[in-house]
Amino acid sequence: MARRALVFAALVVALVAAVVASLALGAVKVPFADVIEIVFGGGHGGPEQQIVETLRLPRTVEAMIVGAALGIAGAILQGALANPLASPDVIGVTGGAGFGAILIIILFPGSIALLPVGALFFGLLAAAMVFGFAWSGANRGSVGKVILAGIAVLSLFTAATTGLLAAYPERAPSAIFFIAGGLTSSGWDELGTIWPYFTAGFICAVFLIRPLDRLALGDDVAASLGSRPHLIRLGAAVSAALLAAASAAIAGLLGFLGLVVPHVVRMAGGTSSNTFVVPASAIGGAALLAAGDTLARTLRAPIEMPVGPFMVVLGVPLFLWLLRKAV
Amino acid sequence: MEAAIQAGAPPLEAHGVEVEIGGTQILRGAELRVEHGQLVAIVGPTGAGKSTLVRAVSGLQSLAAGDVRWSGRDVRSMRGRELARVRAFVPQRMPVPAGVSVREAVTIGRSSHLRPLRRLTGEDHGAIDCAMERAAVTRFAERPLTTLSGGELQRVQIAIGLAQEAPVLIADEPTSQLDLGATVGVATLLRELADDGLTVLLVVHDLALAAAVADTAVVVSAGRTVATGTPAEVLDPARLAEVWGADARLTEHDGRTALHVAWLGKKRQS
Repeated sequence: MARRALVFAALVVALVAAVVASLALGAVKVPFADVIEIVFGGGHGGPEQQIVETLRLPRTVEAMIVGAALGIAGAILQGALANPLASPDVIGVTGGAGFGAILIIILFPGSIALLPVGALFFGLLAAAMVFGFAWSGANRGSVGKVILAGIAVLSLFTAATTGLLAAYPERAPSAIFFIAGGLTSSGWDELGTIWPYFTAGFICAVFLIRPLDRLALGDDVAASLGSRPHLIRLGAAVSAALLAAASAAIAGLLGFLGLVVPHVVRMAGGTSSNTFVVPASAIGGAALLAAGDTLARTLRAPIEMPVGPFMVVLGVPLFLWLLRKAV
Repeated sequence: MEAAIQAGAPPLEAHGVEVEIGGTQILRGAELRVEHGQLVAIVGPTGAGKSTLVRAVSGLQSLAAGDVRWSGRDVRSMRGRELARVRAFVPQRMPVPAGVSVREAVTIGRSSHLRPLRRLTGEDHGAIDCAMERAAVTRFAERPLTTLSGGELQRVQIAIGLAQEAPVLIADEPTSQLDLGATVGVATLLRELADDGLTVLLVVHDLALAAAVADTAVVVSAGRTVATGTPAEVLDPARLAEVWGADARLTEHDGRTALHVAWLGKKRQS
């Protein structure tokens, strides 16, 4: 127990540090003291206050929400499917969201404001296709069926995306930032459209924590305790689909985060109990994305690097190092 | 309200139970009646439908036909939480998740008593401690499940079922993968639980074991229950020959039971 509390505390400290850094650092550096004053309602106007309030605060909040959403999506999918490889990619969300976004970027470049909606719509559509195939016929809702249907649907949307890019090569460069995954300083508008999906996904996830712990002891134990295993899996898939599609709508394709954060949290906490793993993944994901985004836009300021590849480059060595020490 | 929980209705009663899985009929008419505080052993050859029968009465497997009643209530009208209150189902072997301690696993067994998002009360902690004590797993309560032996794990599974505090415990072949000593331990535990008033429904392969622990034996053959009675009554040589196709005889002496088998058939005896 002490170890878990320690890990949790460390994650919270990391999150606070990442948030303060994210607000303070960038092309213009704002002293930490001023940042804290501005956030808590003080400040004396001026460009610094404007930068923090209208550009960095929304971006930091987005980073926290998206990071938490992807961490939770990965944690509950890995729990529900009892498979360490599960992530939002596996239920087709990432592939669908990617296709939706590229469709808008390439075919309707004039209505780029529709990008989050396109990503969200096709992300959820892909997940719905996966559920439709996996929850019909014999053995419905079985883990193997979900994963195979997910990989098939993912391939379908990836092929469609590649087809679009190949058909309009001159427009492909504008799609790259989305595919790489990254946040933008576009204010509160995107969150204003997408927040209900995050909220629904987060609420589902909270209610899934205990059922997922039962499921960890097998379908029979879960059923003995009055749960219906395939409904838990369906609930987890719906919640993860909402969170991952909403994340893709705001920050592009950052699937790696959803795969890795829950594993790191499990290895660090020494437990796979979801009462610990789900909240810790949320905080860890938020801290990682806020920190990654800060680095991505400060290292070569004023040039912004996409945070996706950046996090992968930083995260994979850490992940492999932890994996070496795991079972 | 159908909760006209009929006074005097047995804890569990099943009639004409039929189950179909993937187009194959597994149960073709099974009867079961379990009385308070009894230990009932379900015996029969592999593939006869023993496990399917206990899964069907537990509500883990849907019925194609027939009637299952828990204290008079139709199993099909009961929600998961209500079923969790009348019976605990202990599977043959549960998956062993990494990084989960014995105490945490038994705590999960208590979760059917908890409202969503509510924390454990003192009463819940008491029930968890009591279940661990009863199943003799307190000694290794803080160890991860992944470090346990087969026998220890089976005791933990029973403790998870006990934490549910249901009046009927259903165990599906709890001893089939255990060595002799661990089997004796689990058999003794189940018998003691029944002596203390818990009703136990046990699927078991080993007829000598069934004869030693059970008050009632139910013989399942080819999807039907073909005999119910005390083990000595129903497991006579004629039935062993008819159902198992073996020339065998059960004996009991000084609390020791044995199954004497003509392993190579009568012809080989000189």
